[in-house]
Amino acid sequence: MKHIVRKEFTDVLRDGRFRWCSVLVGALLLVSLGHGWVQARSAQQEHAAAQATARDHWESQGEKNPHSAAHYGIYAFKPRLALSFVDEGVDPYTGTSVWLEAHRQNDFLLRPAQDATAAQRIGALTAAQVLQHLVPLLIILLTFGALAGERERGTLRQLLATGIGRRELALGKALGIAGALALLLVPAALVGAAALVVGSPGPAASPLARGVVLAGVYLAYFTAFLALSLAVSAWARSARTALVILLGVWVVNGLVAPRVAVDLSKWLHPTPSALEFARNVEREMAAGVEGIPRPDRPALTEQLLAEHGVERVEDLPVNEVGVYLQESEEFGNRIFDRNYGALWDTFERQGVVHEALAVVAPLLAVRTLSMGLAGTDVEQHRHFATAAEAYRRDLMRRMNGDLAENSRTGDTYLAGPELWEETPPLEYAAPTLGWVLGNRILSILVLGTWLVGAVLAAAARVRQAEVG
Amino acid sequence: MNTPESRHPAELGNGRAPLLEARGLSKNYGATRALDSLDLAIAPGEVYCLLGPNGAGKTTTINLFLGFVAPTSGQAFIAGLDVSAHDRETKQRIAYIPEQVMLYRNLSGLENLEYFAALGGKGALTPGRLTDILVEAGLERSAVDQRVSEYSKGMRQKVGIAIAIAKEADALLLDEPTSGLDPQASNEFSELIERLKNRGVAVLMATHDLFRAKETGTRVGIMRYGRLVTELGTEEIGHADLERIYLKHMHD
Ligand SMILES: Nc1ncnc2c1ncn2[C@@H]1O[C@H](COP(=O)(O)OP(=O)(O)O)[C@@H](O)[C@H]1O
Ligand SMILES: [Mg+2]
Repeated sequence: MKHIVRKEFTDVLRDGRFRWCSVLVGALLLVSLGHGWVQARSAQQEHAAAQATARDHWESQGEKNPHSAAHYGIYAFKPRLALSFVDEGVDPYTGTSVWLEAHRQNDFLLRPAQDATAAQRIGALTAAQVLQHLVPLLIILLTFGALAGERERGTLRQLLATGIGRRELALGKALGIAGALALLLVPAALVGAAALVVGSPGPAASPLARGVVLAGVYLAYFTAFLALSLAVSAWARSARTALVILLGVWVVNGLVAPRVAVDLSKWLHPTPSALEFARNVEREMAAGVEGIPRPDRPALTEQLLAEHGVERVEDLPVNEVGVYLQESEEFGNRIFDRNYGALWDTFERQGVVHEALAVVAPLLAVRTLSMGLAGTDVEQHRHFATAAEAYRRDLMRRMNGDLAENSRTGDTYLAGPELWEETPPLEYAAPTLGWVLGNRILSILVLGTWLVGAVLAAAARVRQAEVG
Repeated sequence: MNTPESRHPAELGNGRAPLLEARGLSKNYGATRALDSLDLAIAPGEVYCLLGPNGAGKTTTINLFLGFVAPTSGQAFIAGLDVSAHDRETKQRIAYIPEQVMLYRNLSGLENLEYFAALGGKGALTPGRLTDILVEAGLERSAVDQRVSEYSKGMRQKVGIAIAIAKEADALLLDEPTSGLDPQASNEFSELIERLKNRGVAVLMATHDLFRAKETGTRVGIMRYGRLVTELGTEEIGHADLERIYLKHMHD
């Protein structure tokens, strides 16, 4: 069999058309990796600088009423994980920074990832797109003739007459093609690994482990494509038929299914427009909703006076304004939780539709896993947004608490730098690999099924392949 | 002397245990009876020529020996092994030369031989030895390293022979190997077959060419509509007899 492997390998390398296709795909892969890395790194540096500046501004606010400071607010930046240079995921749509201020949870999520199909995003080719679209195309071009072409040329009869088994022949060809592909994929993987080790553009959330799993995901995807191409090549009447069928598969996988997934997921789980969403939050903030009434200031004041047994707000041991501000903050939080929670949940349900549709297009499973491992999927945005919102709430509690505790109603109170400095910066820990994979069980199962199914189909088709 | 019909197939020919044997071998393609109860035995050193018009079932017979199609009934044996049960072992004993030997055009004759020989289990043959085999098969030494895309049909058939020689096969399956060759190339081809025969190779050759069959064959079988209608020893008859018998069967 090693003879078949070697022959197939040299055939691929000698064939000018495939050599140039491979060189092109390999070059695109390296360029997109490099470009992604440089971008991720500069974005990370910008974020770090901006974060430092924001903190600096926060700490040097001077003397100020804590509530003014709360309005002054602070920016929080979603850290870019090490692998985000491979797959930018939903980052371009959601943005990676959020403004934390009094009274409101700001939009972080503008548009979900799945909205963008490959064609729309081709402008800035990412490594993930090369891996998800172009490498499978190359695999198809290298494999469609593997058996159909030999049959058509009449060499298949002579090959099989030598005593070599059909499966051995097919496996040898698959390995030869895989070897040729390895010439472009292995260097890319090494460059990627080096980029992770040498100058990781983001904080470490087990980057190497994520990288290894990511490599495994793409390996499974490519193997499935290779096996599928071989199965079709064994089955098809002619090499031409095999090519047409496989290009059809490629189009459905890469162009049709993602588009259908977007439309179907939106139809099944509609999301409001940004404007509708904002209006709804505004309306609920103004009037409250069933079970979440707006805070009643006179009643709150009455309650405070009764609690402390005094007649006038000036005699309260706390600043009534601070207590009221915190009450309204908490009211707002419940409205936000309601609305944002529902929105995030809807996005996640849309994501499940994409994962399920991977049954017809493995790309959808690979895309979901790739974004997840790169830390750029909707779930990890939610993870960060939740942490940022928790931090905002803590910040507001501190500001309102300081106002309530350290001043009296009617005072002109100014807090000093100690308060700003006492307020800790946001410490965000990105989720673990286990958390990411735990969210993606469905995609893992579907991709695994594709892999096993394609290999079994290839084995069966090859065994039954007609000699011609 | 026994008539051929009364003897068991294995006893036909030169009396040695047959290398190629068919017992009641039949193949239907849908309603077409492509091969009908073929009994045949070819011993070492025998060249059996299957004669018959297009569609008589010659290629089907060879395909059955190659295991490329499954018999509807009956069995094909190579060196005593049932082809359908011993795919690999039986193929290791045989070499096959089709009407058009198909080679990899972007490889040289030598590289093609190297590849097919290696797949046939002769990966240890050196390029020097393989070149000698190509020359033995009748290829010009200067052509050995040329790309096959520049070869004539005759040259490609010679590479086919070289593949068979390199494999040291016990039996040869030839499907109209000389059709389309000029008389000289065709004659050279016959000489090679003769040499292999003398080494004890059993040959089954399908052909249209009565003259070639009489020259090269030790026995001829005439097929029509999937049936072997008669079998003759070439020693017993002249060229004219063969033609007469052939035409008689065609017009029956
Ligand atoms: N793959 C096939 N499918 C259907 N019919 C076939 C096939 N191969 C051969 N036949 C039929 O079987 C008969 C014998 O064909 P073949 O063995 O090729 O004849 P020959 O080689 O003697 O010209 C013909 O009628 C042919 O049409
Ligand atoms: Mg024929």
